[in-house]
Amino acid sequence: MLVLTRKINEEIKIGPDISIKILSISENQIKIGIEAPQSVQILRGEVFEKVKESTLEASRASTQKADDLLKYKIHKIE
Amino acid sequence: MKINTYHFGEVEFTEDKIIIFNSGLLGFENLKKFLFIKQDDSYFFWLNSIEDPDICFPLFSIRMLDDKFPQVENYEAFGITTLNSDPLNITVNLKAPVYINQNDKLGYQKIIDTDKYPVHYKLFSE
Repeated sequence: MLVLTRKINEEIKIGPDISIKILSISENQIKIGIEAPQSVQILRGEVFEKVKESTLEASRASTQKADDLLKYKIHKIE
Repeated sequence: MKINTYHFGEVEFTEDKIIIFNSGLLGFENLKKFLFIKQDDSYFFWLNSIEDPDICFPLFSIRMLDDKFPQVENYEAFGITTLNSDPLNITVNLKAPVYINQNDKLGYQKIIDTDKYPVHYKLFSE
């Protein structure tokens, strides 16, 4: 892993189109500003991992059979 | 072309039926080609990998749940569904919908990073 030390308002460039700026630092939180093209998906790491785990789980469960689904109501989003 | 699938046995298809996922799906980035299958008597659609025919995802059309869900022109949004023998435990992933364009045969997965759409949305209630 590449490790760089930055101060507030200093930037890191990744390639020509992506820049990351340190905006503020408090005791245990850092605010980071990111500029990147629309096509680059930016996600918090834990969200990415959670979705990935769910996709793997869906693949494993795809052979499960549930009977009588018609007895149940589809739960719509309010 | 033919593949052997768990759910549908041997399936024969032509090249023009293949939906291309250029970036794959999260956790399955290496799988790019899928068949999109609709069963008449089921709530679910199926996305069956061509490259690894044992990999198959049930999908649920999200417009049946929410007409305000983020839409993309010419694409339909589906949630990858985690089946369970107890229907009350069947969940749909609304946080990372799969968008499919059936005309252009393209698909992709996108994460919607808001608290409104959970990864495990319970599909059925009593």
